Amino acid sequence: MKKYVIKRVVTALFTLLAITLILFILMQLMPGSPFNDEKLNDTQRASLYAKYGLDQPIVVQFFRYVINMFKGDLGVSYKISKNTPITQLIASRLPISIGVGFAAVMIGALVGLCLGLLAAFKKDTVWDTLATIISVIGVSVPSYVFALALSYQFGFKLKWFPMLFSAKDVIGSSVLPSISLSMFTMASIARFTRAEMIEVLGSDYMLLAESKGLSGNKLIFAHALRNALIPIITVLAPLVVDLMTGSLVVEKIFSIPGVGSLLVNAIQSNDYNVVIALSFIYSAMYIGIMLVVDILYGVIDPRIRVAKEGD
Amino acid sequence: MKKKLLSVMLASVLAMSMIGCGSSAVSGVTETETTESTDSAQSTDAAQSADATSAEPAGEGSGEDLNVMLETPVESLDPQQATDGTSFEVIADYTDGLMQMDADGQAVNAIAESVDISDDGLTYTFHLRADANWSNGDPVTANDFVFAWQRAVDPEIASEYSYMLSDIGQIVNAQDVIDGAKDKSELGVTAVDDKTLEVKLNVPVSYFLSLMYFPTFYPVNEAFYESVGDTFATSPETTLSNGAFVLDDYQPAATAIHLTKNENYYDAAKVKLAGLNYQVIQDSQQALMSYQNGDLDTTLVNGEQVDQVKDDPAFAAIGAGYMWYISPNIKEVKELDNLNIRYAITMALNREAITTDVLKDGSAPTYTSVPMDFAAGPDGSDFSADQTMFSDYCKYDAAAAADYWAKGLEELGITELNLTMIHDADDAPIKVAQVVKEQLETTLPGLTVDLQQMPKKERVERMQEGEFEIALTRWGPDYADPMTYLGMWVTNNSNNYGFWSNAEYDKIIDECTTGETAMDPAARWAALYDAEKIVMEEAVIFPLYTQCNAELISTSVSGIEFHPVALNRVYKNAVKN
Repeated sequence: MKKYVIKRVVTALFTLLAITLILFILMQLMPGSPFNDEKLNDTQRASLYAKYGLDQPIVVQFFRYVINMFKGDLGVSYKISKNTPITQLIASRLPISIGVGFAAVMIGALVGLCLGLLAAFKKDTVWDTLATIISVIGVSVPSYVFALALSYQFGFKLKWFPMLFSAKDVIGSSVLPSISLSMFTMASIARFTRAEMIEVLGSDYMLLAESKGLSGNKLIFAHALRNALIPIITVLAPLVVDLMTGSLVVEKIFSIPGVGSLLVNAIQSNDYNVVIALSFIYSAMYIGIMLVVDILYGVIDPRIRVAKEGD
Repeated sequence: MKKKLLSVMLASVLAMSMIGCGSSAVSGVTETETTESTDSAQSTDAAQSADATSAEPAGEGSGEDLNVMLETPVESLDPQQATDGTSFEVIADYTDGLMQMDADGQAVNAIAESVDISDDGLTYTFHLRADANWSNGDPVTANDFVFAWQRAVDPEIASEYSYMLSDIGQIVNAQDVIDGAKDKSELGVTAVDDKTLEVKLNVPVSYFLSLMYFPTFYPVNEAFYESVGDTFATSPETTLSNGAFVLDDYQPAATAIHLTKNENYYDAAKVKLAGLNYQVIQDSQQALMSYQNGDLDTTLVNGEQVDQVKDDPAFAAIGAGYMWYISPNIKEVKELDNLNIRYAITMALNREAITTDVLKDGSAPTYTSVPMDFAAGPDGSDFSADQTMFSDYCKYDAAAAADYWAKGLEELGITELNLTMIHDADDAPIKVAQVVKEQLETTLPGLTVDLQQMPKKERVERMQEGEFEIALTRWGPDYADPMTYLGMWVTNNSNNYGFWSNAEYDKIIDECTTGETAMDPAARWAALYDAEKIVMEEAVIFPLYTQCNAELISTSVSGIEFHPVALNRVYKNAVKN
């Protein structure tokens, strides 16, 4: 197990390095430049390029960036308060995105799981139909529609929650965005749980367990749910990263100072360092989550663990 | 003999009228309720005598925060690095320059108590007020200005607005410092003593005092700057105030910003608001609901929402100064080099239809190459008030357009033409581009227009490099003089997107900038019309409209001052009941 984890971590590091290089090359291919405002003259533009080392060959830029990165320096923004260190920008924004995203994942996963279980146990009843309808709506309606509808109903009409994110009331003002973000996760998890549970419930080993006299909660949680969880975790992992890295649309609607809008704005204004830093963090989170998922598989399913230990 | 100044000078310094922008297009509502504060003009005298620091902080506490919607986050609070209206507005909330704007857009004394101008108009001596202090207790000194202005032209800093000191302000040696030929210490600005600042110009600049309220010219406390280094102006702790408010909640690209009234401000008795509460809201529906909820006192309204709120007494169309126009690439596209083709296109544009049917926000059709309501002449009238002056060269006339088109095609020996128009991927330009395409294709047989949208940065780069056929673009005035527009079309200017060149035009502009004509306001004004005529006669650009913003301003709020130039909104005299 230990050897396996080490191997995975090393691979992940190389993957990240490769991603950074690709990002660097892609930045060069992006049309426009960070310094092409109508009002700059050529001399000034050249001096800005020189100041930020953008006049150097790409290879030099790349290695310099990687070395700085190991020192914890992600460079400065060319656009936002010129010279603001990106670490400072991200440090204030990433926790907000992660917070809202994490809440969304929890809500989505728990509600989705309950809905899925309900649908599976009450298969072909009105409950099943209801759960299916909710899932279909959740998957097919974009999150900004939920966001606007929730904001209108619970923010504007009923005034239960603030319509806009506020640093003074982080929890209260995160409720509506988290729910809007959670809908897709909830719907996907509900559908998968239902399908998996129905399959597991109909399998031979469940019949065996039942015939051995197991019943009630133990049967469901120790045997059925545990087996059904594996594919669900596979689906959940990328959703977790997606949600925690911020959503442009939901951030825009609720005025959340998160990283989703930061990335999109950076791309539009050719703020190279911000784009690279954020993409790098996304990749790192994604790879990290995948690693955790692989390890979790082992915890949930002894067959996978045994197979790996046998390596 | 030096003449003691202001009143005369100020009269010639441009008055920016509070926009008549909305009057034609938007129902009866005008800006009156937003511009009530006429008393601001006297602020100088009153404040001068009052020792504001000791003046009892009467009346505050009764005030409230004003809740203001921002469409975009602040990009920079460094006065020499900031380039956008939002940033300028917030910087000016907590920083005073030598001059500030009054309700009519005139320059009035702020940190400067008085100014002497030499007879030849080349030397300005500003006397700074004794009671102006930074929020850390330091007095505001002449050196704060010297330091800031040197930063503005420092090639290391590469300020995008450095040309405000060189081309526009004509400060001695500014251009050489920007180009790296001279050290920044040679810039023509010196601190004679702590409270006396002397500025030397290359040529007389009639609007020089009106530049003093532009944030690029705002002071920076050198000792404080050195103590915070590169983090300057990235948080309340790294920001100093010498103005009406103090910044107390801000971080780069924040969606919420808060400022509190500065009790130590020399003019604090005038400031009625307890503070300013900015909220960035990018979704227009959320913004409107927040306003209706009472969370905002003022908000922008988009074109689709206008019908819904236009009868509200709080509704107003506020001039934004920007002129939108279409630029043909005259040099690279040989069909566009044909004057008949250019006339045909500009006359096929129904500007009224664009503003009334599509934009609906009070934007005004424009038939001049300098937009309305931002630059007033020696006699105080708006430079572009008369929109019929050049309308023969561009106004909508389908029959005439078709005639010119036929003639042009014949001269070129072609029967059809395909043009690609590039434009920004934002709400308004997308809508406008679609209408333009439809209007042109309907009126001009054989013409097809392809639209290509892209982020603004990319569009600007394509235009500067001449990689376009026609482009929808806009320009906002940097200072209150027609030259902020007319200066663009001289040969080789980087914003002369059409790469058009006309020796006679260049000569007039040159004369008006540094020549004899520059010294005589009335003659200069007349010459600028001659120059504008050439631009219109040659159809160098196809003007479309002068932008207005549709806004809701709560009826309980008065005294917010709106300006199309430099500082879009000033809150010093605002009152909320």
